[in-house]
Amino acid sequence: MPLLISDDRLLNSKHQKYLERHLAILPSKYQDNEANKLAIVTYALIGLNVLGVDTSEKYKSSKNWLSNHYREVDYGGSCLLAGFVPSTSINIDSIPSLSLINTLFGLWSLACLGQEENMYDEVDKERICRFVSHCQVESGSFVSSFDVTPLDGCHTSSIDPTDLRYTYAAIAILHLMGCRRSKDFEKYISLQSILANISDQACAQGGFGQYCEPHAGFTSCALSILHMLGDQWSILTPTFYETTVHWLLERQVSSQGSTTSMAEGNENYDLADHGGFQGRENKFADTCYCFWALNSLSILEDQCSARFDKHDLLFNYLLDTTQNNLIGGFAKNNEDDPDLYHTCLGLAALALRGGNFNGPLFLPKDISLSIS
Amino acid sequence: MTESNFDPGSFQYDDIEPLPIASHQKDELCRILYDDEYREVMGIARALLKRLELSPRALHATSQAISLVPAFYTMWNYRFQIVKQLFGGDPAKLNGELDWLDEFTLNNPKNYQIWSYRQALLQLHPAPQFVRELPILQAMIDDDTKNYHVWSYRRWCVLFFQNFDRELQFSSGLITRDVYNNSAWCHRMFVLKSQFKAKPPLALVTTEIHYAKAQIELAPQNISPWNYLRGLYQEFLDGEFDSEITDFALTFTLGVFDDPNHSAPILSSHALEFLAHIYTKHQETYGRARCAYQALSKVYDPIRANFWNYKIRSLLA
Repeated sequence: MPLLISDDRLLNSKHQKYLERHLAILPSKYQDNEANKLAIVTYALIGLNVLGVDTSEKYKSSKNWLSNHYREVDYGGSCLLAGFVPSTSINIDSIPSLSLINTLFGLWSLACLGQEENMYDEVDKERICRFVSHCQVESGSFVSSFDVTPLDGCHTSSIDPTDLRYTYAAIAILHLMGCRRSKDFEKYISLQSILANISDQACAQGGFGQYCEPHAGFTSCALSILHMLGDQWSILTPTFYETTVHWLLERQVSSQGSTTSMAEGNENYDLADHGGFQGRENKFADTCYCFWALNSLSILEDQCSARFDKHDLLFNYLLDTTQNNLIGGFAKNNEDDPDLYHTCLGLAALALRGGNFNGPLFLPKDISLSIS
Repeated sequence: MTESNFDPGSFQYDDIEPLPIASHQKDELCRILYDDEYREVMGIARALLKRLELSPRALHATSQAISLVPAFYTMWNYRFQIVKQLFGGDPAKLNGELDWLDEFTLNNPKNYQIWSYRQALLQLHPAPQFVRELPILQAMIDDDTKNYHVWSYRRWCVLFFQNFDRELQFSSGLITRDVYNNSAWCHRMFVLKSQFKAKPPLALVTTEIHYAKAQIELAPQNISPWNYLRGLYQEFLDGEFDSEITDFALTFTLGVFDDPNHSAPILSSHALEFLAHIYTKHQETYGRARCAYQALSKVYDPIRANFWNYKIRSLLA
């Protein structure tokens, strides 16, 4: 497999070791991440793929272990559903911890471990799609799991958050399971209410967010959803999309021109952030928002066939500022220690700009292309 | 239960056979080396969960399990089922659960479950009070004045209780502390758009314009009040920018429109972009729009030169 990033500054072998360590034995301080285990596996495997490692070969023997997280559950009342649980260690079979988020992480991991032509052969696609269907609530948004009750039908969780991350997970799962156009998705979910919900979160200054505060993460979720649906761009106006391009470009922190006058006064402005992206106005740049903003921009730039951002500066920010030269990995910023999440997102941002990463689906292109 | 890592409190768990967590699986990825406390607490809490026991001792066990694995949504959900069963319509007991949650929140400010769990509790509560929510909201904002989850929860409360009384004042307090607090600025737009069925009264919009202008005078290179100012005109004044606001913006861009090669510092690139936006609205001012975008591209905001040049091309199209 080819390395997906061409830049001599990338410390490929250090990053590989850093990511591989997360798949090995973890000390007890990782206990509180028990419920995020599939997220850890996903971020490490996707990061390794970006670095050119053939994870389907290297971690072939762990595929059974991963598949053990996949469950087909009879909830009673004709609720025959399927999805992934976060951890086989703490799961209880009579009260399965099936969740939308873990199903997405499970399918992402499976894509990194599977062979091209039969990647999802062993899962029941119809049951997974029906699981997504049962997670949708009245407002059009999605919960991630069901209420803890005896198996007498499935009841959407009373306590789950229902923000755009969950809608994104629902659409991404359905896409991985084969939905391509609105009519495919509509077999399982109400698109009308989803689209109304997304329009509600379009902010006046551009971008998407809750209650009028735009956020690069939610913007990436909303635009990725529209990209995967493919034929629903008309829910918002061309002017709004252009305003959003502008809003996203304004998230790239600059140490040139008038901006420098904030060096005194704005405690969230750092000249060293030059070229990096922030998630919101007047915040520090952050490796993960480089990905969320870049993915959003790429989607919109494809719409209007133009390129706006200075990607050389973004490369400099990631490779010279947040890349850790000693132990590998990427940090959130130029001060923190590296962590797995920011390492994966930093690598994904670099590969995305090189054209080798499917941003909306969050998979390296050589993997996403084999999911037809 | 002596020598145990599980704290039984005042309850008896002797009849509970712990449900051991499975470990050392074949070809396992991310094998976590659990410590004894983890094994014991999860063993007991999961045994109770398996029985779906809805009891005070089960509630006590979930507290310990949740503090060890705050992201374990199934345990949170189990806790909610217990609370619903035991405390259902009882305001005092539900307030007790909110007290527990306050304490947990202070110790786990970045947790994803806390705010939606809180919303579920208030929806279950027969007599929820906004004032009951204010201290924890204040403590969390003091800890991180731009915490997105906290601001979203506050806005959810404002809508849930339909109480907008203290919100603009709350925002002003935070803007006084840090004029660059974008969340506090966005909060004002949220209030104006949510409080009034149609548009807010003109007098209020005018007051807000004056407020934004005064804050811009303090820190002209601050994108947040410029966004707010533009939003006020666009959302509530039909996008009709009057000469007063144009003159105001011009005071931060002195020289740019007099000399096409002007390169001395100006007070605000956002003022320049604000003017360019206004000048784009009428063909007779396209020349001035072009001048502004060129100055942004070459001198005042070169990182976005590709976009400013795109705007210039759009003017000609």
